[in-house]
Amino acid sequence: MNERHPLANSALEQTIDKILNQTEKEISSNIESALTDSYQTLDDSVPKLEQEYDKIVADGKKEADKIEKQIMGSSDIEARNKHLMALEEAVDKVFTQALDQIANTDRSGDYSNLIKSLLDESTKILGTTEVVVFTNAKDKDAVQSALPNYPGSELSSETIDCLGGVKIQSKDGTMTFDNTIDARIERLKPLIRKEIAAKFGVSN
Amino acid sequence: MSAEGGVQYSKIAEIKGPLVIVDDVDNAAFDELVEVETKDGERRLGKVLEVGNGKAIVQVFEGTTGLSISGTNAKFVGKVMEMPVSKEVLGRVFDGLGRPKDGLPDPIADKFIDINGEPMNPEQREYPKDFIQTGVSVIDGLMTLVRGQKLPIFSGSGMSHNLLAAQIARQASVVGTDDDFAVVFAAIGVQYSEAEYFRRSLEESGALKRSVLFLNTADDPAIERIITPRVALTVAEYLAFELGMHVLVVITDMTNYAEALREISAAREEVPGRKGYPGYLYTDLSTLYERAGKLNGKKGSVTQVPILSMPSDDITHPIPDLTGYITEGQIVVGRDLFRQGVYPPINILMSLSRLMKDGIGEGSTREDHGEISNQVYDAYSRAQEVRALAGIVGKAGLTEIDLKYLDLGDTFEKEFLTQATDENRTIEETLTLMWKIVSKLPKNEITKIKDKYVEQYYKEE
Amino acid sequence: MAAQGRIVWVSGPAVRADGMADAKMYETVVVGDSKLVGEVIRLTGDVAFIQVYESTSGLKPGEPVLGTGNPLSVMLGPGIIGQLYDGIQRPLRELSKASGSFIGRGITTSPVDMEKKYHFVPTVSNGDEVAAGNVIGTVQETDLIEHSIMVPPDHQGGKITNIVSEGDYDLETELATTEKDGQTISLKMYHKWPVRKPRPYKNRYDPTVPLLTGQRVIDTFFPIAKGGTGSIPGAFGTGKTVTLHQIAKWADSQVVVYIGCGERGNEMTEVLVEFPHLKDPRSGKPLMDRTVLVANTSNMPVAAREASIYTGVTIAEYYRDMGKDVVLVADSTSRWAEALREMSGRLEEMPAEEGYPSYLASRLAEFYERAGRVRAAGSPDRDGSVTLIGAVSPSGGDFTEPVTTHTMRFIKTFWALDAKLAYSRHYPSINWMNSYSGYLADIAKWWSENISEEWFNIRSETYGVLQREDTLKEIVRLLGPEALPDEEKLILEVARMVKIALLQQNSFDDVDTYCSPEKQFKLMKLCVDFYKKGQQALKEGASLSDIRELGVVSSLLKARMDVKDDEMPKLDQLDKDMQEQFKSISGVKVSN
Repeated sequence: MNERHPLANSALEQTIDKILNQTEKEISSNIESALTDSYQTLDDSVPKLEQEYDKIVADGKKEADKIEKQIMGSSDIEARNKHLMALEEAVDKVFTQALDQIANTDRSGDYSNLIKSLLDESTKILGTTEVVVFTNAKDKDAVQSALPNYPGSELSSETIDCLGGVKIQSKDGTMTFDNTIDARIERLKPLIRKEIAAKFGVSN
Repeated sequence: MSAEGGVQYSKIAEIKGPLVIVDDVDNAAFDELVEVETKDGERRLGKVLEVGNGKAIVQVFEGTTGLSISGTNAKFVGKVMEMPVSKEVLGRVFDGLGRPKDGLPDPIADKFIDINGEPMNPEQREYPKDFIQTGVSVIDGLMTLVRGQKLPIFSGSGMSHNLLAAQIARQASVVGTDDDFAVVFAAIGVQYSEAEYFRRSLEESGALKRSVLFLNTADDPAIERIITPRVALTVAEYLAFELGMHVLVVITDMTNYAEALREISAAREEVPGRKGYPGYLYTDLSTLYERAGKLNGKKGSVTQVPILSMPSDDITHPIPDLTGYITEGQIVVGRDLFRQGVYPPINILMSLSRLMKDGIGEGSTREDHGEISNQVYDAYSRAQEVRALAGIVGKAGLTEIDLKYLDLGDTFEKEFLTQATDENRTIEETLTLMWKIVSKLPKNEITKIKDKYVEQYYKEE
Repeated sequence: MAAQGRIVWVSGPAVRADGMADAKMYETVVVGDSKLVGEVIRLTGDVAFIQVYESTSGLKPGEPVLGTGNPLSVMLGPGIIGQLYDGIQRPLRELSKASGSFIGRGITTSPVDMEKKYHFVPTVSNGDEVAAGNVIGTVQETDLIEHSIMVPPDHQGGKITNIVSEGDYDLETELATTEKDGQTISLKMYHKWPVRKPRPYKNRYDPTVPLLTGQRVIDTFFPIAKGGTGSIPGAFGTGKTVTLHQIAKWADSQVVVYIGCGERGNEMTEVLVEFPHLKDPRSGKPLMDRTVLVANTSNMPVAAREASIYTGVTIAEYYRDMGKDVVLVADSTSRWAEALREMSGRLEEMPAEEGYPSYLASRLAEFYERAGRVRAAGSPDRDGSVTLIGAVSPSGGDFTEPVTTHTMRFIKTFWALDAKLAYSRHYPSINWMNSYSGYLADIAKWWSENISEEWFNIRSETYGVLQREDTLKEIVRLLGPEALPDEEKLILEVARMVKIALLQQNSFDDVDTYCSPEKQFKLMKLCVDFYKKGQQALKEGASLSDIRELGVVSSLLKARMDVKDDEMPKLDQLDKDMQEQFKSISGVKVSN
């Protein structure tokens, strides 16, 4: 559906890449230890399994097979789930750091281009430039200076709580398009997660 | 659809039943996913049923309770509903819309797949013919399941269909291969205890790690039930055709699905078909059932065992009726046998597996399987007629041969049909039992089996 | 000028577009950015109501709609036989090349291979006058099908010029031109024809030749004639599909068109897998060499299901026009009717019974009217036929529902499938008391001339036994079989024999799946003889159990499977054995 790269033309990709490089080592080792943990769980369950096994072997092979399957099955799942949690933690970490950095990005230079492209996209989608634009306190200046290119647009005096970017609304208030960085990240989150996970060598 | 989604509209014209009608919409597509946001910021999912002339009719999966005309926003997401899939969905539990229900994070997707699927090209289908041994004699012997088949269980309220489905899920195996096998279970509006029984049953057999569960229980939103089988089948198709696994999909209870569909149709004020169900019920059901199958050049398969409870045990009710026209046979659970305490209480005369003929015989089960099965059906059918007659004229009015059939009917139910829930019979055991039953008849009553098999297997007691 | 409009409304397969003042009714249009195929089914002002033949998921108001100027048509030429088409004649094999295992959207392909070369043998020469329908030459389409290349039915005729010499040509090659009033028209191996318009013919005949299907209950008891109409209604599980497949396999026609209309995908796959390996009993060639499949399975778009019936019947008429006998099997007309109902509902038309549109009956009538035995248009003289057999899937197995009742008005052979028979594994589960054939008198002459003069009488006697049994069954139900006198018990016994030895037929048995007319007659005569001898024996003092235990009984019951079509002397031997065995019990007084 969306043919463009999800993060193209935004500062987001660069930022995430940078953070990734910084944190890759740290997180990889986290994951490794999570994996070791989970294998440990699996190993731990083996003596338990053997014990159980001995106990019931008299009760018949069929029953024993069943229990074996059951214990192996749930240990497998337990180990796998631990791994999933560790991975998620790592992904979250990258996310949080990325968001922090974006929130604190320098608002000059390239940044005004980003705002412009966000405004272009939003007005095109709503099909009008007769809109009210919302943004946060930090981006206010950058947005204000871009607005003259969009006849009929005005900046709301209200600020919104977001990392950056804009949210625009038609003047009658019936249509809204949220193009804040937050909304963009939210929309792209599944894809970003996939990419981060891939960098950790989880390709599933 | 392009990336041009994400516009939020706030002019709500009407809310009725599960539908929200949004005005002044000029950028929405048919079937598009919609996020409806309540005044309090709660988000619910929905999809576009109809769009045009500035209006969009949105069906809200999680219900419209608590929505108001003012303060409700509808965001058109710019894509149809998708399910994130990866190998890691195995061993997971999801809700009826495919969101994690086990406290674990969203699966990291290998792919995002449109939950509606696309119709399989009939030219690309591979005709199903691999015998699945369920270990349940009556199924293996008389209504054989094959890989890629859709074979529903028609039951009634309170009967042991879930027990049977769980037994099939635990025991199903394809003799002679070590291909990966997986179970996808979709609970649609069933009681929590039933869903839990199924989960535990998989866990106890160690099968949970190769299972995926989708649970919409009785207290979950009704309209969500439209989605539950679709997300489940999307995952099943992925496991089968991308990862090469043999997937058994158990869906219970399709009746609740059809009722959700009826609710939406009523809210749209459509002309109803039989019993208030929409005229497109057949087509709609087929978009689920037809997602079973095998494909040329792909290793895996999707086998479906949908379960439905027939309202008032009526097989002519639109839900079992239309299902039966689409599926490849049916397994009918009988009230009489259930009352007598028989498990599994299957009425074999009303049951049938259409694909059986290709899954049995020399090379897969045994060369006499087809004919012995015909003879058992024929004999049990005679036995039932004789029973009815005996009820009127008494045993004294019966001929000698009639009495033999009567005896055969009893043996059939006691020794062949009846089976413990953890009893896993091989196909050889099943066939031996079938010959034991037929051997109750004199040889000249055996009209459906070739002489050479009679000579080989018939054993007079 | 072709219309150029914009979508204003989308609801499932139904789309409205404005700016369509130039569109024509039933014109094919291209819908949306993804170029879906649709058809105009109503015009109001400049708004066109369009049924779309592909999934409309993701379609948006504002996207373009383009008219093509042409009605929905099929392409007719060599290369059709052996194909599997969807409802609008897109070859599914080609679609899979474009979109893999699942059916993608907006794909255009040619229905036949335009580059394949066929060996064309002209049958006209430069200067010959030709008219619409004339054959200008032939090509060998498959081993079984000699395909006549005809002047299209809507052609104005004229003088042949530039006819090519015998040789290999592809479909786009100009084979000849015609000239009339200074106008030159080129003739190729193919032409197009709108599916909703019956192809013209010279005149119609009464159907008098039976369509032999090798199925005893059909050929012997409820026959259908070539060019006739038949319907096979039945609840699910009654073996409708198996019976239809049997007809498609064994019918003695030159071409079979099988339409899977809103049915299971695997059923079409089954035909695709099975037919190439099955041999036509008459020619020994693979059955696929005479078969065309049209598949719009239940989960494929519903509008194309509506069209599939017309696509199929137009192809059938085309081969009829070559002078061939064509059987068209449509499974199931109920799903086609449901497609009509769904579109009608979206059009917000006033519904008649059970939500079906009021024009359901007239559409059914129009469809079955396209059956018939005809003399084709043009020369040389060719007689061909289209036999139409439609399955009906009545909801709940209720034969009083609208599709079944309307269908019964337009067909002459009715094979009523019976769930009770199916439950007791009596296949084919055609109920002999509720079924009928309106062709019996017309085709009796054929049996009398080709098989036996006794045929009509023997058939009546056999059927008489079944009728007697039907009344006796009531008594048995109340009083038990022992309450009947021996002569009547004999009737029950013979009826059972007729049911097992004749009416039942195992389509999965290599021998029993097809039964020649000779064998059908001989088996039937054996049953009647058995009955007569039995009556005689009873009179002479034999007991019923003597008769029941004759060795010949079980041989007779199994003869349908044990005796091959080319082993008729075995049945004569069986007859002799029967005479002998009856002799052995006659006159023996059994004391009890």
